[in-house]
Amino acid sequence: MSDVQPTAPKGPIGRFLALPPDSTPKTIFVAVALCLFCSMIVSVAAVSLRPVQDANSLVDKRKNILQVAGIYEDGINVNEAFGAFEQRILEVSTGEFSDEISVEGFDDIQSASDPELSRELTNDIAGIGRQPNFVTAYLLKDEAGELDKVVLPLWGYGLWSTLYGFVAIEEDGNEIYGLQFYDHGETPGLGAEVDNPNWKSQWQGKKLTDSTGELRITVAKGNPSADMIDHHIDALAGATLTSVGVDNLVKFWMGEQGYAPFLVKLQQGGL
Amino acid sequence: MGTRSFFDRLEPHFVNGGKYEKYFPLYEMVESFVYTPKTVTKAAPHARSFIDMKRIMIYVVVATIPCIMMAFYNTGFQANAAMAATGIEPSGWRAAVLSALGIGFNPDNVFANMAHGFMYFLPIYVVTLVAGGVCEVIFSVIRGHEVNEGFLVTSMLYVLILPATTPLWQVALGIIFGVVIGKEVFGGTGKNFLNPALVGRAFLYFAYPAQMSGDSVWVAVDGYSGATALAISASDGYQTLAAKGMTWWDSFLGFVPGSMGETSTLAALIGVAFLMLTKIANWRLVAGCLLGMIAFSGLLNIIGSDTNPMFAMPWYWHLVIGGYAFGLAFMVVEPVSASHTNMGRWIYGALIGFMVVMIRVINPAFPEGMMLAILFANIFAPLIDHFVVQANIKRRAKRYV
Amino acid sequence: MAQTTRDLLVDPMVDNNPITLQVLGICSALAVTSSLTVSAVMALAVTLVTGFSGFFISCIRNQIPSSIRIIVQMVIIASLVILVDQVLKAFAYEISKTLSVFVGLIITNCIVMGRAEAFAMKNPPVASFLDGIGNGLGYSLILLMVGFFRELFGAGTLFGITVLPTVNNGGWYVPNGMLLLPPSAFFVIGLIIWAFRAWKPEQVEKREYKIQEAEAH
Repeated sequence: MSDVQPTAPKGPIGRFLALPPDSTPKTIFVAVALCLFCSMIVSVAAVSLRPVQDANSLVDKRKNILQVAGIYEDGINVNEAFGAFEQRILEVSTGEFSDEISVEGFDDIQSASDPELSRELTNDIAGIGRQPNFVTAYLLKDEAGELDKVVLPLWGYGLWSTLYGFVAIEEDGNEIYGLQFYDHGETPGLGAEVDNPNWKSQWQGKKLTDSTGELRITVAKGNPSADMIDHHIDALAGATLTSVGVDNLVKFWMGEQGYAPFLVKLQQGGL
Repeated sequence: MGTRSFFDRLEPHFVNGGKYEKYFPLYEMVESFVYTPKTVTKAAPHARSFIDMKRIMIYVVVATIPCIMMAFYNTGFQANAAMAATGIEPSGWRAAVLSALGIGFNPDNVFANMAHGFMYFLPIYVVTLVAGGVCEVIFSVIRGHEVNEGFLVTSMLYVLILPATTPLWQVALGIIFGVVIGKEVFGGTGKNFLNPALVGRAFLYFAYPAQMSGDSVWVAVDGYSGATALAISASDGYQTLAAKGMTWWDSFLGFVPGSMGETSTLAALIGVAFLMLTKIANWRLVAGCLLGMIAFSGLLNIIGSDTNPMFAMPWYWHLVIGGYAFGLAFMVVEPVSASHTNMGRWIYGALIGFMVVMIRVINPAFPEGMMLAILFANIFAPLIDHFVVQANIKRRAKRYV
Repeated sequence: MAQTTRDLLVDPMVDNNPITLQVLGICSALAVTSSLTVSAVMALAVTLVTGFSGFFISCIRNQIPSSIRIIVQMVIIASLVILVDQVLKAFAYEISKTLSVFVGLIITNCIVMGRAEAFAMKNPPVASFLDGIGNGLGYSLILLMVGFFRELFGAGTLFGITVLPTVNNGGWYVPNGMLLLPPSAFFVIGLIIWAFRAWKPEQVEKREYKIQEAEAH
């Protein structure tokens, strides 16, 4: 095809296209065009998928709340089942529900880093730095509309990471129904056994306080003494520090600095 | 020379072209166990010495004898004492044998303790020899190199650093991993840069931590849980050890719960003294390791900490608890995986001493640091040598310019 | 290029495997292989990204100025990775939580960059696409093998289904905790490389030196 000679480029566009790829105008053009094109694709994907992703993460959180309250089964509609819960904002220090803040869009963990909504801890046994003044409480009502369980958030430092979880407490404000963590970075096979169903099942039926109202719940090694059987959770084998972390965070959140004022109100039926 | 002629008669079958050519390593293993190996280097330079590999290895095994004796005694003593204190009835085949022989379980009776401990030691040792030996032989048959006496040392050290309650299948897995990954993949004895016994132990430590580092593994009685001195020090401080029945002298002599052969500092020191006298262990390694440990633990004593009681532990406690003394005596001085230059040996030893205190005191997850510290330093040993040699070359170059 | 479609796809599986022969893309192989499901998703993501990035880069290969060619490749790869990440977050939320940053880190996966630079810049789009898919499959093969070992012996399950009931759940199998930790993938990959090279000795590198033999006297 040697008889077809490249014709001289016509007009500014033609001349531009004929430039070698390494010339400065062409380099800038390729860079700009590619960036524009790619950013368009990426932002379209991000914007159009955003609602689905947000829904996913909400469903994920709700699923954990359903699981800890023991009403999750495979294949149920999470959002529908979650309708059984009433969400209220709880003021931690007084144990009263508050209507100052809207439940919608409130995030317990984010509010802990907001100086207006949290306080610096002096006796910080759970290793969380700041404690939020308000958290979301999830109230589960039975068919008759009576309070059945309360699900409350808790978190604290284990061995390598902060463990984030929920605890479900029966309507008497003393008996634990379940406790589970939805996010942590503990050692797989050791500390990460906090996710083991057998270990988690120990929490069910355990009492937070004894008859005098003293906080007794403990995660510890070995066989409990007779008066501790109702308050004892076996520590995880081979994961001493994760167990200590869980012990501390449960004691913190169930204690005076945590939900004790609220739980006392529950026990007295003053809700 | 009856045996000699026996070997000479057999040899043709095993050398190249013979009927059992493939199994030469097996023949060689038995022959060189009885006679001096007949291979020499052919390239210059030659160094002559009466010490050959076989003799080194046998000396090391001899040096571990005090530790082995203590392993028998203390394993039995801990088990018998725990049974006497808690009233847990002896059960299982060991109890049946001991009762049948009328030996009993009296913790004050030295022979009863030795016998009980021996029955824990023996199965673990046999499993180690069989499982590790099979791997050794398979590799030497495939590769056509001889089975090395080093395996005797490796297997003995490996057994001594295990808890008495280790399940036997784990013992087998650990030594197989140690021999294959710790040694054979790099070409066999002399080319390994890690200590195979420690590699096997580390494998078990990370693979089965519940059986390797929990509270209930150190004393050979079912259902009895007793923490090691290190675990107690980490949670309550070393000052509380005496209240739990572990004095410094107990720890030094070895009457505390722990891995079978690691508890007695005295036995380990006798071993290392023997190795240093016979010039198998290099004293610089030992001195470096002691200095590193003493200096860094002293520094931590001065710094102090309100929340971590391990900071306050003085060096003489670090010396007697956990696997420090045993590791110092038999692992640190191991010539193949240590540094090879004199200056390098100081640095290598000090690095281990520093790391062991660092891991024990500052790392929250692992109470014992000796095994990890030695493996860590093993990896650095060639690098240390490299820099020592480079520095030496530079210094000499300057001198002659 | 004289390579057939079959060569392009099959060659990187064993004979020229990106992980075992070229030892590329190890980091993600360590991080995501503790369960088979996650390994499979990661393998799929990498295969798609390698294939399509090869295709797009090859399409515009004659227009790419050589001075900024690495950046151009990165932009294309990064866009594809973000796409994959967004899609996973929308339609496979659980898995995307486990994979976390590792999907994003496909951008830095040496296999993707390596194929873009070494193959897609010099070959037509369809061949580049096939080459990318082939290398992705080679990577997937190893990833799935490692994931299989680690999940089976580390947790006693395969794709989350119990195969060996573990002691903690009342079974007999004592899980090997080390296999759940990322470094164990080093051992497993090492053993796979060993097996490959025992099977195909031509993959063994030349010795850098030879040790003087001892001889009998």
